[in-house]
Amino acid sequence: MDKLLRNKKAIVIFMAPAFILFTLVLFVPICQSVYYSFCEYKGITAPKFIGLANYKALLTDKTLGFAIKNSIFFLVFSCVSQLIMGLFLAALLTNIKKGRNLFKNIIYLPCVLSSAALGLLWMFIFSPKLGINQLLEKMGVEGPLWLMDTKGFIILPMWVIAFVSLWQYVGQSMMLYMAQISGISKSLFEASYIDGCTKPQTFWHITLPLIRPMVATAMSLNAIGSLKFFDLIFNMTEGGPNHRTEVLATHLYQQGFKYFKYGYASAIGVLLLIMCLLVTLFINKVVKTEQYEM
Amino acid sequence: MDAAVKTENEAKKLLTADDIADKKEKLTLPKVIIYIFLVLTAIVYIAPLLWVFNVSFKTNREIFSAPFALPQDITFDNYTFAWTAGKLGIATLNSFIVCVITLALSMIIGSMAAFGIGRLRWKGSKLAMTYFLTGMMIPVHCVLIPLFTRFAKLGLSNNLLGLILPYLTFALPITIFIMTGFFESMPNELIECACMEGANLFQIFFEICLPLGKTGLFVTGLMTFIGNWNELLLAMVFISDDAKKTLPVSLSKFVGPYNTNYSQMFAAIIIAIIPTIIVYCAFSNQIVDGLTAGAVKG
Repeated sequence: MDKLLRNKKAIVIFMAPAFILFTLVLFVPICQSVYYSFCEYKGITAPKFIGLANYKALLTDKTLGFAIKNSIFFLVFSCVSQLIMGLFLAALLTNIKKGRNLFKNIIYLPCVLSSAALGLLWMFIFSPKLGINQLLEKMGVEGPLWLMDTKGFIILPMWVIAFVSLWQYVGQSMMLYMAQISGISKSLFEASYIDGCTKPQTFWHITLPLIRPMVATAMSLNAIGSLKFFDLIFNMTEGGPNHRTEVLATHLYQQGFKYFKYGYASAIGVLLLIMCLLVTLFINKVVKTEQYEM
Repeated sequence: MDAAVKTENEAKKLLTADDIADKKEKLTLPKVIIYIFLVLTAIVYIAPLLWVFNVSFKTNREIFSAPFALPQDITFDNYTFAWTAGKLGIATLNSFIVCVITLALSMIIGSMAAFGIGRLRWKGSKLAMTYFLTGMMIPVHCVLIPLFTRFAKLGLSNNLLGLILPYLTFALPITIFIMTGFFESMPNELIECACMEGANLFQIFFEICLPLGKTGLFVTGLMTFIGNWNELLLAMVFISDDAKKTLPVSLSKFVGPYNTNYSQMFAAIIIAIIPTIIVYCAFSNQIVDGLTAGAVKG
């Protein structure tokens, strides 16, 4: 049997398709992308090496400033809000028996739906004359321009989009926390009740420490997801008004496929890649501590 | 035997009595608050979908004159328009083709590699796993431009194959990761037995390991299918021919600021999400548990 499992030919046959695809469609393009980021490359002409010029241009790009600010806003907002709301919903749902599945499935539903379609749906709900504003009008209140307002440091459309993304993806975090909470042994809870803990105390001192590893997983999923954020913004505001809701992904798309500045867009891509790697490392270092026996 | 049935029934009765006690204890004030909060949350989730569904049957004028009333008469004109003139029909077909092919290929190629890593014995298997896993952290945006220029040269832009290749590649890491776990946890004796019976590696893989890894295949398949069905960016960049666009792209193009017929756009949104909703309603428990299992392992 050992001979069979060490058969070199078989190993090659089993590994080759995945390996070739992975290398050709993922790793070679990544290297190319890094190379292009040092080039002037406008699509028609061949890429021409220009050193750090693209990166220097990044520093003075005003839209990129908005994009980075907004991406970081999404990153922080989605990590914090999903952690709080996800844990809160998970704690509520693990405390009830009747209807648990129903509520769980309802809250998870948007996670499987197309965010392109949901973005359009919410775009109409928050549009000037439809949806929420019609409802407000009935109550005699004049609704704001949800997706066009430009006042403040973090403008209103960003909060609206952040709310929609929380609405769409909180089910994912909730499910992860629920899975972890239901894996905690019942005897631990019983012991804490016998010792006179109240439910909130039990949650704080027993549940929370035990689900910490899952917090790291869920957070890094959220963080990477929020950096990759594209569909919702593209369909809700297309980066407008006046580029104020642009994020890295939409800016890359605009520069690359509207203005065909491939070299410059590649530099944005490299920036995005570095941010993704850094954030993952950071979260795993800070949040992931020792694993407890459960 | 009667006695046995009787005690069983009694046990059942006891159980229900317990349950009742449980329920009585449950209706405390905190529980009521929890339920009220959950119901409100559920409304926030369902109301937008119901609103769009309701409005999609109205005429454009009705949307503004009676926004929240039920539609006066139900017509499917909006839907037929979105399906044909909005090209959502052909887009649904394209999405289906792309997703099914990607699904089948990713399952086969991914689980073959997983079998190679989890079961075959060679020195580089750990390293190969790391190689595939780094792929999970890489955002698709970073490879967009090189892939686009390469595919344009190869004649793969405006071609469904040009979508299938990257979709497949980005589905591989999670497939390999989950399936390797499944293959590693299978008992050695199974494979030893098969070896003694004279089975070759391919028989072991296709006739023993794959059928046993069904749960894993279901989970990864689900994730792959849903992810690709909803993918917008790659599809938007690679496909410009209307007849080859996938559902999210056609939808985003049809529903936009330049179209002023709202009810048709609402119908288009419903067309785009209703298949997923129906499938979700039918298999929600398996889907939710499956996706969570996948994410936990990931």
